[in-house]
Amino acid sequence: MAENLKDILSHLSSEIDQETLLLYLQDKLTAEKKHEVEKKLLDNEFAEDAVEGLQSIRDKQHINYTVEMLNRDLKKKIAKKKERMEKMRIKDQPWLYISLIILILLIVIAYIVIRKSLPG
Amino acid sequence: MNADKYKHISDQELLGNFYATHDAEWLGILLPRYTLLLLGVCMKYLKNEEEAKDCVQQIFLKVITELRKYKVEYFKSWLYMVAKNHCLMKIRDRHGKIPVELTERNVLGAEEQADKLSLVQNDQTIDLMNKALEELSPEQRQCVTLFYLQKKSYQEISDETRFTMMQVKSYIQNGKRNLKLMIERKLKNGTRQ
Repeated sequence: MAENLKDILSHLSSEIDQETLLLYLQDKLTAEKKHEVEKKLLDNEFAEDAVEGLQSIRDKQHINYTVEMLNRDLKKKIAKKKERMEKMRIKDQPWLYISLIILILLIVIAYIVIRKSLPG
Repeated sequence: MNADKYKHISDQELLGNFYATHDAEWLGILLPRYTLLLLGVCMKYLKNEEEAKDCVQQIFLKVITELRKYKVEYFKSWLYMVAKNHCLMKIRDRHGKIPVELTERNVLGAEEQADKLSLVQNDQTIDLMNKALEELSPEQRQCVTLFYLQKKSYQEISDETRFTMMQVKSYIQNGKRNLKLMIERKLKNGTRQ
């Protein structure tokens, strides 16, 4: 009893994994597990707000699919960003600048040599 | 990168890896941990599934951009604040009103958690709790007792008391908050005497 009373004031381990939260929303948990989730929700404002919003979605079975789609989209966007960054990084490669300088030097040397080798 | 492979890595570590490498793929592992919560928060404020989905995508982009600019200590609290503010901004755009913007002060920080822990560890607390429980309104006392002491779910309490689920939730939330305030007040008065 005393230990249970302590639960009212405790604020420890209020993390709920997404899978459990989905099962809770789909009403697929036992009464005991439901109570555990609800106890954690009272200490987790972020999850509590989320549950309030998710409960307003009519098709609870569809939530998982929506989350997967959002994650897939995020992955694509990150891959695109990374690709762009890689391209920019190639432009920043020092060997590129060194090659350009060598090329310009070669052109200058070639020009001088040709000029000197010309008669008159 | 396979997200399951990184299940054992904490948010803090993933964030650390991102700051060390500037590789956004670390955020590609971290952010999906919160997609469901973000969708829920956006639904709560926007009340529209399509808008909520768009909003989650915008929050993702905002987070990726913002994290490049400065270092975030408590990722979850920060993300919650970003999400809420983004939703409030959307509502403002809809209605032309200016809602109150959240600051990190509004989000529960480590300091506040430490305070609560010390309250739990206090020896006097259990005695005071029993007394404070008696001072709650009958509805709050009934719901708090059924929830915390008899470990019943909202649904079971609702069935037993005939309160709606929303009422049950509200009585528990308010009862819990009132209990904390009463105990803090009693402890403060006790130390003064």
